[in-house]
Amino acid sequence: MKKIIYLLMLFNTIHVSYAQLSGSFESYGAWYIDDSKIKLEPTETEDRLRGNSYLKLEYRYNNFDVGIQVESYESKALLNYNPKFEGTKPGAFYLNYTNSKNTLAITVGHFYEKFGNGLALRTWEDKPLGIENSLVGGRIKYKPWKALELTSIFGKQRNGFATDLSESTLFGFNSDFKISNILKSKSSNYGVGFSFVNKHEKEVDVPSDVYLISSRAFFKRKEFSFDIEYVFKSKDALVEFEEVKPEFLFDGDALLINLGYAKKGFGINANLRRTENFGFYSERKLSRNSFNQGLLNYIPSITKQFDYSLTNIYVYQSQPNIRFEPDGNKAGEIGGQIDVFYNFKKGSVIGGKNGLNVAINSSLWHGLKGRYDDNQTKYEADFLGFGQKFYTDYSVEIRKNISKKWTSIVTFLQQYYNSKYVEETFGEVNTTTLVWDNLYNFSGSKTLKVELQHQWADANFKNWIAGLVEYNFNSNWSVFNNNLYNYGNSNSEKKINYYSLGTTYSKSATRVQLSYGRQRGGLVCIGGVCRFVPESSGLTLNVNYSF
Amino acid sequence: MKNILFILLLFTLKNYAQQIPIAELETTDGETISTEVISQIKDKPVVVVFWATWCIPCLTELSAINESFETWKEKYQFDLLAIAVDDDRTAKKIPSLLAGKEWPFKVLLDTNQDFKRKLNINSIPYLIVVKNGKIIFKKTGFVKGDELKIEKAIADNQ
Repeated sequence: MKKIIYLLMLFNTIHVSYAQLSGSFESYGAWYIDDSKIKLEPTETEDRLRGNSYLKLEYRYNNFDVGIQVESYESKALLNYNPKFEGTKPGAFYLNYTNSKNTLAITVGHFYEKFGNGLALRTWEDKPLGIENSLVGGRIKYKPWKALELTSIFGKQRNGFATDLSESTLFGFNSDFKISNILKSKSSNYGVGFSFVNKHEKEVDVPSDVYLISSRAFFKRKEFSFDIEYVFKSKDALVEFEEVKPEFLFDGDALLINLGYAKKGFGINANLRRTENFGFYSERKLSRNSFNQGLLNYIPSITKQFDYSLTNIYVYQSQPNIRFEPDGNKAGEIGGQIDVFYNFKKGSVIGGKNGLNVAINSSLWHGLKGRYDDNQTKYEADFLGFGQKFYTDYSVEIRKNISKKWTSIVTFLQQYYNSKYVEETFGEVNTTTLVWDNLYNFSGSKTLKVELQHQWADANFKNWIAGLVEYNFNSNWSVFNNNLYNYGNSNSEKKINYYSLGTTYSKSATRVQLSYGRQRGGLVCIGGVCRFVPESSGLTLNVNYSF
Repeated sequence: MKNILFILLLFTLKNYAQQIPIAELETTDGETISTEVISQIKDKPVVVVFWATWCIPCLTELSAINESFETWKEKYQFDLLAIAVDDDRTAKKIPSLLAGKEWPFKVLLDTNQDFKRKLNINSIPYLIVVKNGKIIFKKTGFVKGDELKIEKAIADNQ
């Protein structure tokens, strides 16, 4: 702490017009209090007051940026975070140089990178999910021409705090070539990309080097767009329950296709993907770990990402990995989603006085069809075969400005969720969810938000009802009351109302939220990546400030 | 005492007008564009809105701006950029969504959130107003009616 204060004072003192200090402070705190229905596990009761806090400072001087992030998990990290996050230590540091023409960028230290669509490589952070998988090492980005960008990386993955590193070493190269730019094409945009990523991880009797090769292309002409990426992954050993099995080696691949058509008032987009044995971790033993540690590539579930509490109970998670299990074999997934957007214009029969916006989405995901032999631990998957159904959904979202003061959004969602394959538990669920979200503006920023939700489900948690009332006194202060009641649960002990009451203050780049209530247990998902959290009750305080 | 000093120091830093950091963004046509273009717009405010396709308050904010956009354009000199921080899960559907919304403003993509990270933005919706390369207004969250505050930030910086 003393060193950070001295550093801040030094920066403050020498701050001149051509230098910049910026940063942020984020803190997510909880005081877990048992109530009549929800109690902490006995192993967790010693530390009831916990917080995850992050202080980031970045100093920019001419063409250089230098930064540090200090992380604090005191007295412990929030429930069910990676146990490696404990105490207060530097989490990341970096030095960047970018030349004046912006054609060369060199980074030393921690950095985040993405090649193509992220299938071959993506490192990123998501604090609510506890994901922090930056690379530590060096990166060079070079643009010899406007149409060509080259990136080379070398390093190890962060696995804990700043100096806790994975056992493997990573090398990667990426190139993106915008051909239409070189040919000065005005009517179309097209280009190609190529990536190579190699992980070196020593282990007896298994390949030390596992590599991924990605080839991709995109084409866009007027209303039409087309993207394709194919990635091959070399042979690696099967990992089951953290045990590496050198006698079972499998290669893998991924194919991603996107087709779009967009003209004024109407847009349609189809996203298709097939993955086979495609999980890629910085350490084999981290394969399919529940804390999402060691992820090196990004395989999000391609389904609609919803923003309402009841639409996020059965969230599909992508299934790119091999699992041998009698009556539950899988080696990957195949499927996709279609989105349609349409605007009924103002003055039309359906659009009425203020117009009406419609978004329709449907997704379908299956396991790979093939011949599985779980006795001999081998399989052969068809390239275009649809096996066991994992997930389907259909949704319609209608947004309407009923008047200048009142906006209403209605969402209808129907889902099929195969828990046995997706969560590797048991059973399957069919749900229907209806959401009615209303915003009414009285004057200035005095606004009332009323959100009503209901979910009908034939299994698992069964029926839910939810409601949110939020009142904004002005653009700074608001109060809210949120309730999720699992009234349909077959177990009467589990018929719990997850209520929360709270207030939020936000001004400029500062946001503070204080609330008291219950947190529903289950999967918390962002961007199709999920983390399991146990249910809890108590007081929470979140602070966000940036400068 | 140390903690108090630390917090005081932290809050004194907010008085500096932050400059736009350099990062690479993509257009919906697949072209790469540097954030330098924001700094190069001189003598008029540039409103930069950070949003995502899955963020309901963000869509409410952009719809509210869309409702006022023509009136603002008649009254003031300004530019508006909507920066989508959708990652590769949802970024591909942005052109179709934009067509369905008929928004008149330019949208850029920040799919690995490099620009968002450099600006230390932790949650969206988030809005900044930039003039001559310096950030002169910041706003986190959106409540219906806040569009009046955005208009005021534009009007005050003509």
